[in-house]
Amino acid sequence: MQQVTTAEPTLAEPSSGRRRLPAALRSRRLVQLGPTIALVGVSILISAVNHRFLTLDNLRSIVTQSAIPLVLAVGLTFIILSGAIDLSIEGVMAMSSVIVSFLVLNNRTSLDWGLLGVVVAVLVGGVAGFLNGFIHVTFRIPSFMVTLGMWSVGTGLATVLYRGLPVTVEDTMLRSWALGTTLSFSNLAWFAIGTLVVGYLVQRFTLLGRYAYVIGGNEELARLSGVPVNRYKVMLFTFAGLCSGLAGVLIAARTGYGTANVGAGTLFQVVTSVVVGGTALTGGSGGVLQTLVGVLFVTTLSNGMILMGIHPYIQQAVQGLLIIVAVALTMDRARVPIIK
Amino acid sequence: MSDQSAGVALEVEGLVKQFPGVTALDDVGLSLRENEVLGLVGENGAGKSTLMKVLAGIYQPDAGTIRLRGRIVRPQNVRQAVGYGIAMVFQEQSLLPNIGVAENVFLGNEDQFIRFGVIDWSAMHEAARRQLAKVELDLDPRTYTAELGFAQRQLVELAKAMTIEDRTRENPIILLDEPTSVLAQGEIDLLFAQVRRLKARAAFIFVSHRLDEVLALSDRILVMKDAEVVAERDPAATTAEELYRLMVGRERHAEYYRESEQVPYDPERVILGVTDLGVDGAYQDVGFEVHAGEVVALCGVVGSGREAVCRTLAGALPPDHGTVTLEGRQLRFASPRDAVAHGVAYVPMERRVEGVVPYLTIAENITLPDLRPVSRLGVLNLHRENRLGREWIRRLSIRATGPRTNAVNLSGGNQQKVVLAKWLACQPRVLVLDHPTRGLDVGAKEDVYALVREVSRQGVGVVLTSDTLEEAIGLSHTVLVMKDGQIVHRFDGRTSKPRQVDIVSHML
Amino acid sequence: MELNSTAGSRPPVARMASLALRLVRAGWLRDLAPLLTLVVLTLIVAAREPAFVSERNLLNVADASAPLFLLALGETVIILMGSIDLSLHTIASLSSVLAALWINQLGPFAAPAGVIAGTACGFINGLLYTRLRIPSFITTLGTFGLWKGIALTISNAQPVPIPTKIGGSFGWLKGDSLGFPNTAWTGLAMLVITFVVLRHTALGRYIYAIGIGEQATWLSGVPVQRYKLAAFTLAGFCAGLAGVVLVAQLRSGGPSLADSLLLPAIAAVIVGGTAITGGIGGVARTLIGALIIIVARVGMDSAGVDIFAQQMVYGVIVIVAVTLTIDRSKIAMVK
Repeated sequence: MQQVTTAEPTLAEPSSGRRRLPAALRSRRLVQLGPTIALVGVSILISAVNHRFLTLDNLRSIVTQSAIPLVLAVGLTFIILSGAIDLSIEGVMAMSSVIVSFLVLNNRTSLDWGLLGVVVAVLVGGVAGFLNGFIHVTFRIPSFMVTLGMWSVGTGLATVLYRGLPVTVEDTMLRSWALGTTLSFSNLAWFAIGTLVVGYLVQRFTLLGRYAYVIGGNEELARLSGVPVNRYKVMLFTFAGLCSGLAGVLIAARTGYGTANVGAGTLFQVVTSVVVGGTALTGGSGGVLQTLVGVLFVTTLSNGMILMGIHPYIQQAVQGLLIIVAVALTMDRARVPIIK
Repeated sequence: MSDQSAGVALEVEGLVKQFPGVTALDDVGLSLRENEVLGLVGENGAGKSTLMKVLAGIYQPDAGTIRLRGRIVRPQNVRQAVGYGIAMVFQEQSLLPNIGVAENVFLGNEDQFIRFGVIDWSAMHEAARRQLAKVELDLDPRTYTAELGFAQRQLVELAKAMTIEDRTRENPIILLDEPTSVLAQGEIDLLFAQVRRLKARAAFIFVSHRLDEVLALSDRILVMKDAEVVAERDPAATTAEELYRLMVGRERHAEYYRESEQVPYDPERVILGVTDLGVDGAYQDVGFEVHAGEVVALCGVVGSGREAVCRTLAGALPPDHGTVTLEGRQLRFASPRDAVAHGVAYVPMERRVEGVVPYLTIAENITLPDLRPVSRLGVLNLHRENRLGREWIRRLSIRATGPRTNAVNLSGGNQQKVVLAKWLACQPRVLVLDHPTRGLDVGAKEDVYALVREVSRQGVGVVLTSDTLEEAIGLSHTVLVMKDGQIVHRFDGRTSKPRQVDIVSHML
Repeated sequence: MELNSTAGSRPPVARMASLALRLVRAGWLRDLAPLLTLVVLTLIVAAREPAFVSERNLLNVADASAPLFLLALGETVIILMGSIDLSLHTIASLSSVLAALWINQLGPFAAPAGVIAGTACGFINGLLYTRLRIPSFITTLGTFGLWKGIALTISNAQPVPIPTKIGGSFGWLKGDSLGFPNTAWTGLAMLVITFVVLRHTALGRYIYAIGIGEQATWLSGVPVQRYKLAAFTLAGFCAGLAGVVLVAQLRSGGPSLADSLLLPAIAAVIVGGTAITGGIGGVARTLIGALIIIVARVGMDSAGVDIFAQQMVYGVIVIVAVTLTIDRSKIAMVK
């Protein structure tokens, strides 16, 4: 007679029977209001130190500077909500910016695809995102690893294409998206707001958005409840890729050429924005509206530092520290027993 | 036609489920009648949880049939099981705390509310209100789930399970897996009241280790033991004690536990003293003494807190209140490092994850806590380490080709011996054994018992939790019974060993 | 036991792919495949470029690859624990800037000072990681920015040249001993040191133990956080050394000197056979992996592949290598 004494896995091991809720949820209200308070606080501080801060021109400039990071951040928000990370956004953005630059009217190729070129470039971003998600779920490779590779693939591809064919964008429609203004705000800002609205609608009213929360909340449980987790993970990464693609198009519009070295530091800025805004790295809580606050905060801080004459290079250091602090404060450690 | 006229909703026959090294279900059969609550009881590892998971589609059986009202079904995953009308209500945290109640109720099932790719929230909330009404829960379905109390959550889970009512024409079958483990008494009554109401339109299987609750709620009770169904009882005609005996009952073999080798301990030498120890949510007001050479067994059902006490002694679960003293000195137990430094050795329950380091060799596992004996000026002497490994292999009769075998390649029993060798090499003052014989074959168990006798002879204090009462009684000098996080009785086994039934009466 | 009996929920492509991978991942493959790859790759490159195997060229290659190899050694130590360090290349750059700047004040001690600076950066990495208890990839993503920002600031984003006639450590590094470049000797020496540390010291033993089974190691009373801190410090030392070597080779320090080295360094570790989940592998494997990367680099150079396109290739290599070598049983939930 065999003694059966095996520990069968229970779905949720109540560790030592604690009945307490995870920290991130207990202080939900605080986490929600914190970033806004921080934004207001920082603004007050900066304006106290430097009077140029509160001018309409400067505020408009902050809005413009926030536009492209916001587009990236909306896509990244969904990834982080689901508990993953996307380190490739810079690379994908670079790639799509270069691609769009020689699909639309430019000074080297005879192509003049206009809006079609834009769509293609955005779709290329989507394909990159799709690959990220597909490789991640099919081969079960951690997302940071896959997207780390894709980051370099994107940047590499962009550089190669660009060095082979450095072009200047001459398509006036595209350039007007960045250089033109509507209601005295740069068109870039309107694109960003449009992306934000789309992001919010997805988050609130589609399964894709809801499942981001569900997968980030408890992936195992989601699977058991019949949620097709893998499929939605791929869709989330594709969405982020599309956002990166759009950001690439916008930056080509702004600078006038495909930018392979798009600004190392964009990744930091965007990750920091999302986390500081209130979307915890562990997933399951936050959203695009919170990300908006986060982006504004980071851009305001940047702007403030420039106004105060702080060297731009120091900003990268500050942003690096900011990521660490933001994650340290918002991470729900109860959910991750072993931190690697 | 269906068996609805015969009143049998679900029939299981010849179910077999094996995991590596273990048979969890061995030719299990049961029948569940319409509109009844079938109670299912058994020890940890008896198979009741596996059985439920097979029915719910989480596991697939290796053999056997499941007949749903006469029709053979084979749920390949949870979604399919739900399609057949079988839903499971899990323990505690099986609702997602970070979304709304309505979303939880319809998780995985939202298609009905999607129009043109967009969620119709008002429709979902309306439907959720209807579902919640089934369990008489008056709650705004937009409520953030994390804000609910545990009782409310359990009712939401019940409502969620009941949604399958709308998807199948027949009565649903709801599997309740330990639904009350974190509920207070009043909340339990609430839950039971709802279940009784819903009996009219569903059949339930109710699994719990709380025998009095099973007796209160069930119409019939099945007892599982060692992967089989061993008895059926009418709750009106049985008692918790009888159930427990059926669940556990074995003859006690004095020789098996080498009781003749048991040596009395010195009542003057207290090695470990625990006073007013408490961990919020796990146990409180725990106090006892362990003398040199004494074997103290902690007995209790799931949730009694005994494993948590062991982990506190191990340093893995720092106490919120109380003190631990070793040979009179009050010491800090904030981490395993503290515990080990104080001479407390912990043999954990999850051997494969917490006991051995799988891809280190036997010798490397043994020297893990302290590399100083095999190193000189910071450099490891691998020869000496392997020699040490060989020595312990010999002393504990570990079956392996040599000290350089990776621990992962050993059988469970031999892995456990490696863990014990690791600690014996440190010459501990207290040995805490958490279910030390779980998953071991008979021969390995005997070796463990012999070891316990030997260290106790050498004056080491032993704290033991065990899978079976007979093992606890057989090995120990003293039995402490824990219930709901407190010590409720102490049996002094020095003159005569306590009887199982006496212990059980306190455990329940 | 994994709750993985969700048969039927994975697409057939995925099931076939993972079946193929399981066949591929038989134990011996991890050991032999890198060596085989190296041999095959070398033959291919040598066939195209016979000058590759000339003694002079091999020595040049050895010299040029030293910084990459040093970074890969540092990364090996971290990856063995199951963590990752995304900032080692910026530590190397920062060390190069500091060492070059300090030549005037410290003379011959500038190089050791640079290495010490790198070690301090690694220590800070480890401190943030262990004290704040945030995942290593976030910590080092943050410090990536920190070290980069500091390097850019103090160098004003310009390379920092060192005088051409230089003695001391830099001079030595530029020279040869016994016909072999001193930079390569440095790499070799570091290989031996890390090998000994990993196999013959408590630190090394615990690095492996933490990588294989952190829970069991912790419960055995090992001060896990302390050893993690030491590992990151050691990695910082390797990175600092890499930075100093770069200064000697390029005659200047600079804030972006080592930028292109992160991905190849990680690729070298994984291609060599060290598991990304930790606990399996070692610096000997990294040597082979680094050689593979180096030969691949030479091959790509001779085939006229753009240096930036090479980055792309490294990215692909990393993904493919991780796919082939990852031990999925250790990661119940992949995020």
